[in-house]
Amino acid sequence: MSRAAGFAGGFRVRRQITTPEHVRVRLEPAGPGSRFLALLVDVLLILALTALASSALNHLLPKSLSTLAVATLSFVLTWIYHVGFEVRREGRSPGKAMLGLRVVDARGLPLSLPQSFVRNVGRVLDFAPVFYGLGGLVALLDRDGRRLGDLLADTLVVRDEGGSRRRMAAADLPETLRREGQAPVDPELARLARHRLSLDERELLVALVRRSDKLDPRARYDLNEQAGKHFRRKLGLDLPHLSGEALVRALATAIAAKPGARR
Amino acid sequence: MSLPLERLLADGRDRWRRLDELLDVAAKAPAWELGPERMREIVRLYRLAAADLNRLLAATADPELIDPLNALVGRGYRFVYGARRVESFGGARRLVRFFTREIPAGFRGARRAVVVASLAFGAGALLGFGAVAVRPSFAEDLVPGEFFTSSPRERVAEIEKKEERIATVAQAADFGSQLYTHNIRVSFLAFGLAAATVVGGIWLLFWNGVILGAVAASYVLDGVGVFFVAWVGPHGALELPSIVFAGAAGLVLGHAFWFPGEVTRGAALRAAFPTVWRMLIGTSAALVLAGLIEGSFSQLSAKTVPYPLKIAVAGVLFVALSLFLFGRRAADEGRQGEAT
Repeated sequence: MSRAAGFAGGFRVRRQITTPEHVRVRLEPAGPGSRFLALLVDVLLILALTALASSALNHLLPKSLSTLAVATLSFVLTWIYHVGFEVRREGRSPGKAMLGLRVVDARGLPLSLPQSFVRNVGRVLDFAPVFYGLGGLVALLDRDGRRLGDLLADTLVVRDEGGSRRRMAAADLPETLRREGQAPVDPELARLARHRLSLDERELLVALVRRSDKLDPRARYDLNEQAGKHFRRKLGLDLPHLSGEALVRALATAIAAKPGARR
Repeated sequence: MSLPLERLLADGRDRWRRLDELLDVAAKAPAWELGPERMREIVRLYRLAAADLNRLLAATADPELIDPLNALVGRGYRFVYGARRVESFGGARRLVRFFTREIPAGFRGARRAVVVASLAFGAGALLGFGAVAVRPSFAEDLVPGEFFTSSPRERVAEIEKKEERIATVAQAADFGSQLYTHNIRVSFLAFGLAAATVVGGIWLLFWNGVILGAVAASYVLDGVGVFFVAWVGPHGALELPSIVFAGAAGLVLGHAFWFPGEVTRGAALRAAFPTVWRMLIGTSAALVLAGLIEGSFSQLSAKTVPYPLKIAVAGVLFVALSLFLFGRRAADEGRQGEAT
């Protein structure tokens, strides 16, 4: 287990696990805000479930039994809820699923039943003296934002979108560009782009195209014009009919096309 | 030389998406429903994706490109290496085995911690008792307000004169459930404190012992010691050991956390989980029983149940609990282990 600065600027510290294939996979610890919101959702759900079950039990059972059943049920629910979901749903209670969080073993594996139990028994201590006061304090001090229960169970709450289809979309870039067909792949442009542009420059092109629609229009224009100017000079291109953004897109499309698909 | 970035993305895209879909299916379906073919496909695609991630990391630092694949490989890793343990109680026979065999085995594996926790509690009880016996005014300082009565004798006389406090099953059930939910919470707190700090857990047990000893002494000094034993005994025979056991479970985990020895802290904790979890489940079960007894039988005065009978019940419960948890010999366990 090791830590590494995730980005060049190192503004986010991540935890890294090394799989048996010697591949380093990064775990992104969840922040206190999202964890708190997930907890809030779970607490509300537990309260709603308890209220529902209590009214049902009060109707179904005689008075002598219903008080015992309701007290036991509400108590058991608070414990079973978290442990059950964490073990059955690979570390996701409904609140965590909603916020895109997951509890994992610190080695990146699913939690075991005893581990989840210990983690949740730890809540009693984390909850002291008022609503997760101690747990919150410990989580603020721990680099991975773990509360005491997590430390004792060697678990970690990570950000994980689960079915990563939405995030996978980012990797669909080449197809997106080809489909958009802003500019047909000019063989000469493709040749120049492939041979004269460095890896950094190609990354810049790809990133700029991907992010353009999220930029403020003014910034989008300025950035694309600057980049366009740079590439015109570097590749010795004239093409006065293309705007900076059109040139950037044409170049990105050229480098994104599969080499075999070149015409 | 690493593959060009765009080539890597174009080549990998389809198999990443397929792996993503398969993992979605796998998350919902049990392993047997998935079938060996798809299982093998997941493993193959996971290995390819892991290799792709390595290449991608060599080619770029762009989080928007790396993160999705990183998340996918993480999911694949969890699936492939997180052997899906069938960790449910799985049927009545398994449940019975868990309570009759595994829980006592857990306790026997933690004898030393149980001894340390018992000594802390016992030393506190002796000190509390001794302090009040030597100077009765200490009771006022040591015993919390809700338990402190200036004259235990008067209180006993009042209880024995009035009607039974717990007269109906409903009252007993209500009071009992309040008691055991509270007691389980307290013992989980003792567990957590012992696990997180070791010393804090020992202190909590010691202090609870002091209070018990002080209350006992004030009743004994006032000549109503028999009432006290008959009142606390039936449920205390299970409840007091349970709180000690919860603290002991915390000590087992705290030892692994603070003194992992030659293995990593994570490995030490993981080795302690089976023992700790069995002890906590056993403790909770005993506390439910203790709470129900405390809410009913313990509250009955001499008018309904003679005190010697209550004390005898307390003795039987304590001996039964001790024999159940620690009675079986190591040799028996060895034979049992061979048989299974």
